[in-house]
Amino acid sequence: MNPPTIKPMYYVGVAVAVVLAALLPWFAPNQFYIHLATLGCMNLMLVLGLAIIARAGQLSMGHGGFALVGGYVSALLSMRGWSPLLSLFIAGLVAAAIAAALGWIILRLRGVYFVLVAFAFSQIAVLLALDMSFVTGGANGLVGVPPISIFGHVLLTKPQFYPFALVCALTTLLLTWLLYRSPLGTMMAATAENQRLTESSGIDTHRVQVIAFTIGSGIAGFAGALSTHYLRFISPDSYTFWESVSYLTMLVVGGRDGVLGPVVGVLVLTPLPELLRATEGLQHIIYGAMLVLCLMFVPNGLASLVQTWRSRQRVAGTGAAIVAEEVT
Amino acid sequence: MSMEIILVQTVVNGLMVGMIYVLMAIGFTMVFGIMRIVNFAHGEFYMVGAFLFAILYGSNDVPFSISVLLAVGATALLGLLMERIVFRRFRGNELNGMIASVGVALILQNSVLLMWGSSSRTVPPVISGVLSVGGIVFPWSRLVVIIGAIVAVVSLNLLIGHTRIGRAMRAVAQDAEIAQVQGIRVDVIFPVAFVLGVSLAAFAGVLMAPVLSVSPFIGLAPTLKAFVIVVIGGLGSVPGAVAGGLLIGLIESFAGTFVSASLSEILQFLVVIAVVLLRPQGLLGRKEREA
Repeated sequence: MNPPTIKPMYYVGVAVAVVLAALLPWFAPNQFYIHLATLGCMNLMLVLGLAIIARAGQLSMGHGGFALVGGYVSALLSMRGWSPLLSLFIAGLVAAAIAAALGWIILRLRGVYFVLVAFAFSQIAVLLALDMSFVTGGANGLVGVPPISIFGHVLLTKPQFYPFALVCALTTLLLTWLLYRSPLGTMMAATAENQRLTESSGIDTHRVQVIAFTIGSGIAGFAGALSTHYLRFISPDSYTFWESVSYLTMLVVGGRDGVLGPVVGVLVLTPLPELLRATEGLQHIIYGAMLVLCLMFVPNGLASLVQTWRSRQRVAGTGAAIVAEEVT
Repeated sequence: MSMEIILVQTVVNGLMVGMIYVLMAIGFTMVFGIMRIVNFAHGEFYMVGAFLFAILYGSNDVPFSISVLLAVGATALLGLLMERIVFRRFRGNELNGMIASVGVALILQNSVLLMWGSSSRTVPPVISGVLSVGGIVFPWSRLVVIIGAIVAVVSLNLLIGHTRIGRAMRAVAQDAEIAQVQGIRVDVIFPVAFVLGVSLAAFAGVLMAPVLSVSPFIGLAPTLKAFVIVVIGGLGSVPGAVAGGLLIGLIESFAGTFVSASLSEILQFLVVIAVVLLRPQGLLGRKEREA
């Protein structure tokens, strides 16, 4: 198969989507929509992190744990006078460092063990946050986390914060897209496809998976910190196992291949919890049902539907061309 | 209280919790060994069993033995239904099967939440009084849990080791394809194994309901525990699940009594990392054959 060529139409579509997203504060009927869009930006970063890990053939059930670590690191540093803009990146680095150490130990093993240890890690992170109340404030969490300020501009209100979140999310999206097209991205995809074959081609698949896990978890740490500075609050309940599950749901429903899947998953599933706040149980049931139904009937996610449609069009197009040739 | 009494109570508590974990871990490891599915919904079946028992026995005064049968039976039926609708399609596909089980866990937990609310219920003790042996007293309510769990484990062992269906299950766990060639109806073995695992989880829930309080959120912790135990004991190994379950139960009880509960969780995590590093096949597991 030829490498997919990118049509000019594609660029136009992306540009239109970005402009629409950037203009949202001007045509949103009220602040609630801006809030939703901000949450969507943060979810997108978390889901992209998960997608990078999945790209290398692993599944992290502890994604929320890394977001929690990032949130606490950034909150604690900035409450001690560090610039939040700096502490965001430190949060990402700390989460990435933990993931690298943990991944180096556990990624030599088969998938199931990795899932367990990542899952257990996120539980430990919640426990530590509860237990070390002298630093973390225990179950009450940390209140009054300083807002982000850029060159003296304090991002206090929702319309002020949204552009920053959007820039962060789009940067992550762009970097992920570039990663997928880089040699490392190819190695990741090959590892997921067939680990032994990749290994026998001289690629250290263990290292590839550790790197993917480190990058993905680092993004989670950054996004968790970003969200903490937006809500100005973090507690052990901010990122539980069920948050990790909802990122996984977004990834699976949207699609695991490429960067379009996470975008679709986030767009479809972010508004849902907010619209169904009143009946919290129902929202989770819908998440669960969508997860199971997608795996059964669209295992490659909603984004794959677009791709199937496009390739069908392409096939129809070449078919027509052949017919035309035969006629002439 | 003298040191001796505290020690004995800690051991009894540890054994009780440990036996519950053993029941959870055996079901979990069976489903994995036979269907190759990591069932994140396993603890939700424990929760459903405990909840049904709390409603029947605790709130409606249905006789004890009937409550146990109904609670376990109804949960087993639910398990059969889930196997038919969901899990059957994912056997052998570890990654998607695991994700699907998370979806099932979400659905089960929140359906219970919607139907019966989030408040926790207490169940009256099934039995009161104490057994005193040589001046040391054992509360019957805890002994009953231990005895019930032992009975379940022993009967399961007999079923797996000494019946036709048990042999068929062991064969499928070793190699489903070859088992099929030998004339074993794999399509029957899968649901049987799944329902057995679910029933064990439900029974564990029933046993624990009078000791702990029951709410829709109690399922996740035993799932994690089953997971931890199975990794320590070896995925797919039943003796490993027993040893690992008792070990974790005792660690928890001792650390909880003498140090702190969260320290015991961290300790368990470190044990898991150590096992994974030093003996990846688990303490009593056999090395996975290279496929």
